[in-house]
Amino acid sequence: MSLQEYFHFIIIPILGLSVILVFIRFVKGPSLADRVIALDMLILISICIIAVYSIMFNQSTFLDIAMLFALIAFLSTTAYAFYLEKRERK
Amino acid sequence: MRDIIIMISSTIGVLFIFSTSLAMLRKPDVYLRISVTSKASTLGVGLILLATAIFFNEYSVTTRVIAVILFVFLTVPIGSHMLARAAYFTKTPIWGGTKIDDLAGQYDPETHELHSENRNSSIKPEKTDKAS
Amino acid sequence: MTNSMFLNNLLLTIIWVLATGTLTEENFIFGFLISFGILYIITINKEERKYFTILPKLISFIMFMSWEILKANLVTVKESLYAKSKLEPAVIKVPLTVESDIGITILATMVSVTPGTLVMDISDDKKVMYVHVMHVRSKKEFVDEVKNKFEKRLLEILR
Repeated sequence: MSLQEYFHFIIIPILGLSVILVFIRFVKGPSLADRVIALDMLILISICIIAVYSIMFNQSTFLDIAMLFALIAFLSTTAYAFYLEKRERK
Repeated sequence: MRDIIIMISSTIGVLFIFSTSLAMLRKPDVYLRISVTSKASTLGVGLILLATAIFFNEYSVTTRVIAVILFVFLTVPIGSHMLARAAYFTKTPIWGGTKIDDLAGQYDPETHELHSENRNSSIKPEKTDKAS
Repeated sequence: MTNSMFLNNLLLTIIWVLATGTLTEENFIFGFLISFGILYIITINKEERKYFTILPKLISFIMFMSWEILKANLVTVKESLYAKSKLEPAVIKVPLTVESDIGITILATMVSVTPGTLVMDISDDKKVMYVHVMHVRSKKEFVDEVKNKFEKRLLEILR
């Protein structure tokens, strides 16, 4: 079994399953904080998917996008947390 | 040989991420979910990116991978702390099985100042028994 | 003093790399170790010897943190398979001994990456930290664990 086949048939399905599990929480989440943390987790999983795809297609350029995502994940979480707190104060 | 190392590393990382998303679905309240997410995800992301670095074996890729891992390790604890604090302010219900809650009533509702000694303010999330 | 010793060490390392003429990571690390040994021998009678005690401590601290991160992940894998009745969460007040801002930041990050704990907030007068714990037996036991395991190590480095 080559590396490409292994990634294609084992790693990507498990990652997809975890995306589905997190997405159930994202839809179901009773509060806004649940949805924000689910979004954070989705971005982390998408970083992993980008890394795996860059191995599968032998393209190291994809990792730039992973780096960007790691920055945006922090920014979005912080901005949402700030917004939640400010909305309560009003 | 290198292929086997890449396979093992990425498989372990993927299993960590899968267990995190499973735990996220099963935990009863927001604080436990935040606490779980800020842990297993870091090592999972780290191991998969390590597999990428071993596969390419170049300087430019390795430095990028180290940058991503550093960002994730530095920012995830800060983000989870801010989110937990915001969730507490919005009075998100806390699970009924919580034994001690020292934080209840410690925040000032007007200025959002946190006090270290005991006081009784209105910011106190209610407890729920049902799992959501 | 520590900073200038580190710069001396780096300078000697660069001289070693230039003299041997091979710029690889292994050669750089080897040169760093050699110049560390040279500086250790030179300053053996001086009073300022903090640099030589702090570097091994820093390395052991980093090793300890990696071990804690690994343990946290294994605990989370186990947690995700547990039933709900086994959980005993609590929010616990932990008094702080560290005073500087950077020390508090490092301590909060350390507590956040260890198994089952999450720093929720730090009071505005920087005396108390509120920690959310997943499994708690008694309040005192947990406070003692944070004090002895993390804060003592951190204070050794910061001093």
